[in-house]
Amino acid sequence: MSMSFSEKVIQKCIVAFLIILSVIALIPLLSVLSVSFSSRVPVELNQVTIWPKGFTLDSWKYVLDRPDLWRSFGVTAIATIVGTVLSLLITALLAYPLTKKEFTIGKVVMLAAVITMVFKAPLIPYFLTMKNIGLYDNPLVLVIPHILTAYNLIIMRTFFLEFPSELEEAAVVEGAGYFRLLFNIVLPLSKAVLATLGLFYAVTIWNQFQHPLMFIQNPDWYPLQIKIRQFITSDNELQIVGNMSQLNYSARTLRAVTIVFAIVPILMIYPYLQKYFTKGAMLGSVKG
Amino acid sequence: MQATGRFYHHARKCWPLYLMALPGLVFFIVLRYIPLGGSIIAFQDYSLFKGIADSPWVGLKHFKILFDSPDFYRIFANTLILGFLKVVVIFPVPLILALMINEVRAVLLKKGIQTALYIPHFLSWVIIAGIAFDMFSLNGIFNTVRDWFGYGPNLIMQDERYFRWIYVFTSIWREAGWGTIIYLAAISAMDPQIYESATIDGASRMKQIRHITLPLLLPTALVLFLINLGSFLDLGFDQVFTLLTPMTFSVGDIIDTYVYRSGIQEARYSFATAVGLFQAIIGFVLVYVFNRISKKVTGGGLW
Repeated sequence: MSMSFSEKVIQKCIVAFLIILSVIALIPLLSVLSVSFSSRVPVELNQVTIWPKGFTLDSWKYVLDRPDLWRSFGVTAIATIVGTVLSLLITALLAYPLTKKEFTIGKVVMLAAVITMVFKAPLIPYFLTMKNIGLYDNPLVLVIPHILTAYNLIIMRTFFLEFPSELEEAAVVEGAGYFRLLFNIVLPLSKAVLATLGLFYAVTIWNQFQHPLMFIQNPDWYPLQIKIRQFITSDNELQIVGNMSQLNYSARTLRAVTIVFAIVPILMIYPYLQKYFTKGAMLGSVKG
Repeated sequence: MQATGRFYHHARKCWPLYLMALPGLVFFIVLRYIPLGGSIIAFQDYSLFKGIADSPWVGLKHFKILFDSPDFYRIFANTLILGFLKVVVIFPVPLILALMINEVRAVLLKKGIQTALYIPHFLSWVIIAGIAFDMFSLNGIFNTVRDWFGYGPNLIMQDERYFRWIYVFTSIWREAGWGTIIYLAAISAMDPQIYESATIDGASRMKQIRHITLPLLLPTALVLFLINLGSFLDLGFDQVFTLLTPMTFSVGDIIDTYVYRSGIQEARYSFATAVGLFQAIIGFVLVYVFNRISKKVTGGGLW
């Protein structure tokens, strides 16, 4: 491909612009990371930008010694693992029949699913329904509302539809029923879509804020996001420790630690799943 | 007889399919459709103790209260303005970014740029807001850099003049990179022969973008645009709630946060449901109207 001189210049400019943009996108993360490892005084003297000043682990020690934070972490971790497995299971169990023409109510079910994408129930009737079925102040509320979305259902169904039918037919000849077809033939070969939707579900459950804000009253069941929010906004307790001048940390460095603390697990699973999710996100776009 | 026989045969062979579907169907009915039906409490004076069956019907009372309250117009205006910014300012960014990323030829560099732009999508709004408050705090990186150039500190998170821009920039930071995936997928699905023949005909890169890539991306963009319009007033509770401060309330309080406050915190169930229904109806009408327009103008739409 030959390009004229001016085009080469334009292209170079675009690449440079994108590199600068990527750096800008990462600077906030680097900034909060370096504050979390910096001592109190340089932070207060505006000396910390994207590199720690007066490297110290004191803030981290203080935060990581808090049992309530670890409890929230545990609540969120368990909800995420249980919720992701359950979500994938129930989504697959509904998506699979939708690929079979013997499943005579399939069209109605698809329509009903798509309608939920256009018409969302107002918040209050939703809240009251959840309360009526016993999910108020119940840790299950961290999992159950996220089990299924029409969008993910459509992605999974589209993936199953592209599945070569010969494999299933061979198994049917050997007397396999629908359950064995799904669990022994289809799902083992659907790792790409399971990884993608698994990531989507896991991130949704890990990051959820509105549901626990509305439904969880008991502090024992606060998930991580609620806990972090409390640290960020009403940090009276942190302010008191932070203002004692002999300490090497401040409210701000402690806040930075809690933020980084909540990001780390997401960033740790991200590289493993990255190769899958672009494909999955594209699958979703086919339907639009 | 024959019909029952066929039914029996069908049931014997296919019951596992229905059993499989059962949990998902129960989920949709209980958590999506029952609340949708529960919206009728907007026309009642709903009381928790009486339930829907015994609460008195009051017609449009709560809608009248709504339209009579000056608060509501401020909140509705805030919602419209943010919705407008979402559709006009935020929406085109992924398309432009995708066209630019497509010009990066070095594979590793392209991947690096994409990764950097995707990452914020995986952070919660609590975290994004936490980072924003940190960056714009008195000693944050924003004011530190201002300091280098001799400017005094500026607390923009606490300033109502900047709230809407904070909404726009945090939206772009978190979602624009992720939004490029669909466009990049559509670009990669295009026939390379079109580009080859265009090159032979002497079309420059810029001309190729304008006359080939953009027109081919238009249907995708249109569908996304319509979906976006459908959620025109759905601005994201988490984002606005976590970015709001008492000082930015006058410009940042939107329908979602208003419904949360009046409905959940003050337990004005019927009133808050009326607000929610109003929001849902406006959203639906918008999609419907723009779908009609889109069909007339371009021949394609959502349905």
